[in-house]
Amino acid sequence: MIEDPSRGTLLRGEPSPGSAVRDGAEKWEVQLRKGSLELAILASLWDGRLYGLEILRRLESDSELIVSEGTVYPLLSRLKSLKLVDSEWVESDGGHPRKYYRLTEAGKQWSLAMSRVWHEFSASMTKLLTPLTNERAGKEK
Amino acid sequence: MKLASGAEILKDQTARDQRIDAYLARLRRGLAGLSAEKVLDIVVELRGHILEKSARQGHAGTKAVESILGMLGSPEELAAQYLADDLLARAEKRRSPVLLIRGLAHWASMSAAGALVLAGGLLGYFLGGSFMLAGFLKPMHPRTAGLWRLAGDVYSLRLGFGSVPAGGRELLGWWMLPMGLLLGGGLCFLTTQIVLWCVREFRRTLDVGGQ
Repeated sequence: MIEDPSRGTLLRGEPSPGSAVRDGAEKWEVQLRKGSLELAILASLWDGRLYGLEILRRLESDSELIVSEGTVYPLLSRLKSLKLVDSEWVESDGGHPRKYYRLTEAGKQWSLAMSRVWHEFSASMTKLLTPLTNERAGKEK
Repeated sequence: MKLASGAEILKDQTARDQRIDAYLARLRRGLAGLSAEKVLDIVVELRGHILEKSARQGHAGTKAVESILGMLGSPEELAAQYLADDLLARAEKRRSPVLLIRGLAHWASMSAAGALVLAGGLLGYFLGGSFMLAGFLKPMHPRTAGLWRLAGDVYSLRLGFGSVPAGGRELLGWWMLPMGLLLGGGLCFLTTQIVLWCVREFRRTLDVGGQ
């Protein structure tokens, strides 16, 4: 009998699928985070211009998105080439210039459209997942 | 707690600067192919990131910098992400098969989808190029170049080098010339269109290879 496959307990005497389930869930989570990274970056710029390190900090503090820093900079460059963000160099007190990014008008429209899709998708998934959520809540009691 | 001497701090700072310079030099080498302005833009931005992050952490030494560089990933992988997008963006604009294949090669190094599109693209251009070449070579090798049906119902596209295959029959005759050029050209055009569609999807959905 198994209560929670992710904890690696046994299922009817068979070797536990726990680690495979956990690995699969982690890989899926990575894909999910990657897929939402673009929207997260655009959303972080909604209130105004930020430079790379500030965007990373905003993502970490507001979204718990643990992103590879080596992914964010090329992604910003791509968002710029897609004309969704614009950039400008500003001198800083630290002695090195900072490259600030801001949303373009197209970037704002794109962000709003993506945000709408995200909310609709998330609402329908939450509804669909209700029985699983209840099951997990019952087991955790 | 033992305090570091001025000489030790200076030595560590020199080692740190050398480490950053070495990382950025590798990145710069990886970015060959981008305009000098873009390379400078990227290098200055990342140097600022490394220096500011290490200063914010309160440790400006080699160890802190090593950890920051580790989070950025290898300079070659980082460069591949910049290059793939730049080459694909330029290929999209110019519809250039050479830029497309170069961009796809970088994309392929980052994701399975890129590898699949690269394989499809190469196959399409190889087949298209072969038909065009066979058509082009037909006047030079009128007896041997063309589409052949060999023994055992095997079809072979021959450029005309070598002898007439035993038991084979050439199917198109002189039609090989216009057909080869048209079919080959069409295949190359179709390959470019399909690959460009994949590239547009890739750039729109931002299928990045990193995590």
